Formats: sequence, C-alpha cells, structure tokens
Amino acid sequence: MKKDITVVAEPRASRGKNEARRLRVRGLSPAVVYGAEKDPVAVCVNPKDVTRILMSSTGHNTIFDLDITGVEKTPAMIIDWQNDPIRERILHIDMKRIDLGRSLIVKVPVHTSGESKGVKLMGGLLEAVTREVEIECLPDEIPEFFNVDVSDLAIGQGVRAGDIPLSGSMRLLSPSDSVIVHVVALKHEEVAPAAEGAPAAAGAEPEVIKKGKKEVEGADEKKKK
Amino acid sequence: MLMPKKVKYRRQQKGRVRGKAWRGSSLAFGDYGLKAMAIGMITDRQIEAARIAMTRFIKRGGKVWIRIFPDKPITKKPAEVRMGSGKGPLDHWSAPIRPGKILFEMEGVAPDIAREAMRLAAMKLPLPTKMVTRLPYE
Repeated sequence: MKKDITVVAEPRASRGKNEARRLRVRGLSPAVVYGAEKDPVAVCVNPKDVTRILMSSTGHNTIFDLDITGVEKTPAMIIDWQNDPIRERILHIDMKRIDLGRSLIVKVPVHTSGESKGVKLMGGLLEAVTREVEIECLPDEIPEFFNVDVSDLAIGQGVRAGDIPLSGSMRLLSPSDSVIVHVVALKHEEVAPAAEGAPAAAGAEPEVIKKGKKEVEGADEKKKK
Repeated sequence: MLMPKKVKYRRQQKGRVRGKAWRGSSLAFGDYGLKAMAIGMITDRQIEAARIAMTRFIKRGGKVWIRIFPDKPITKKPAEVRMGSGKGPLDHWSAPIRPGKILFEMEGVAPDIAREAMRLAAMKLPLPTKMVTRLPYE
C-alpha cells in the first residue's frame, strides 16, 4: 500500500563490520536498495523511520518514497531486516525499488475474528499455524491484512489458505491447502509425582551410536572360506 | 525429563558458551515468549520445573512450546572418590544458552496470565530472562 512517507537515505562508500558499527554509533543503520533492474546501492538510514514503518498498520508491505541523496528518489519497500537478539534494535535493512505498474510478491498477515465454537463450547484451543500468506498483486492493491472468521470452527476444523477471499489482481502463491488456523483439543496433562520420576530419569542413559560398518550376515561366511 | 534418545559419544568436554543467540531469538509459534538475557546452562530438571510451573498456572487453557533441548551430557564423580581414573558417570543433561534465545513460548491465554506464568517459570531458571510478545510485523 502506497503511503506519503519519505525516508531519507545517504549513500555510503565504505563497507565492512567496523564501518557499520561506526554508523550505528552515530544513530544510523546500514541498508541496501536493490531491484527494478538497476544496480544495488549501499545506503544508511535512520532506523527510527524504518521502525515507524514496520510498526504501522501496513507494516513491511508499506510502499514509501526513498530519497537517496544525490542519486535517486524511488518508491521502495522493506524486504528484510536484521534485529539484535538482545537489544532488539535494527542492525541492517534490505529495501527494494518498486515499479508501481508491475505486480509483486508480498506476504500479507492473516487476522482472525470472532470466538470459535470449539474454544467457547468445547474447551479447545485456537492455534495459528500460518500467520502470513504469500500473494502476487499490483502494488496499489496490497491489502493491510486478510480477515478470517473463525466463529464456526469446532474442534478439528480449520481454515486453509485457499479459503481466503481474494479480489482484483490478487493471486495466491502459498499452497492453497496450508492451514492458517485450526482448533485443537487440549491434552490433559497428568503431572507425575517428582519422587517417582526422578530416579528413573537420572539412571537412564541414551543409546550410543556404534562406530564402524554394520556386519552383513554373508560377510562372515566369506571370510571363513 | 528431556534427554536425547541416541548420542554419538557418552561424555563431552565442558566447553564455553560465547556470543549471542542469532538463531532461535524470535517467536516462532506462540504470542508470548521467555527470552534469556545472559549466558548460562539450563539443566533438564530446570526446564521441567519451569514447564510444570507454567502449565499449572495456566491450568487448562493455552499451549506451551519448549524451544530448548538439553543435549549436553554433564558428568559427576561419585562422592568420596579420589581424583583421576577417568571421567565420572553421566549425572544430568543441560542446554547451553546464549543471550537472546527464546526458551519457552505460549499461546491461547490472556496477556496477564501469560505474564504471570512466565514470571513463575523464570523463577525456576538460573539466568535473567524477560518476557517478549509478538510485534505487529512479526
């Protein structure tokens, strides 16, 4: 979905982890822009702008204007990003130039609405198996999300990717039989007393994989001869 | 308790845990998770204790995933045995943990219940943790 957001990027000449670290100290993130049959450009952007786009309602499917100082101004989209596992700040961003006249492949989130029969009356659990489906469509027709009504689902029933209604130029690329959500029965868990389980578990040792080739029955006879 | 079914070698060297958990550091199954914030080793008993604390609190709602597996054998010499004459027998199994690793995930419960269940589970673990929730773009 095209939005009136402009992200300013500066081309960066230097490469490598040290230079990337210096950029991050300055409050910028290294990024790369590619696509539309043009050469890739290494840039740096403000990670706050990227986070704002990712946290918006359209998320990573937002098409925004990328202004690379002195190089070009092009519509672009966030394709991939790396996060620090501890601080959770953005480390690197991949952006793709978007040709607004050509269809593109995007992953659209699937939301659920309603409380399913299986959860409400039968005590089941609504489990989301796939949270995004891959579709091909024109840039202007990228939906914010797909909504799936789960109120009629009983235990053992689910919604598949093929059940999602598509409109306009949208074409489903995910396998149509892949499960989006389903209602599963909860298992009764019987917690064994710790005193009974502990000695058996402590004494148990796993099987050790033996070295060497397995002996074939006929091989011994041949050796004797 | 969790342990491997088959191993190539009965005993392992101690080793050191270094770096950050680049793999397994984001939510893959549930809406809530417990993330390790320091380096450490979690034993099979601690994993089991944390799992029981969580599942008892959430009672019959929700589903829990364990994202770590204790595949490192830890040996211990018996009491009152002189040093030498080989490595001791297997004592328990442990999972080496790097900071950033998602230890447990949960789905199908209200946020406040998930938070309390994760707090109880964290009490059973030997390292600092924090609760994470699924962001809109994840």
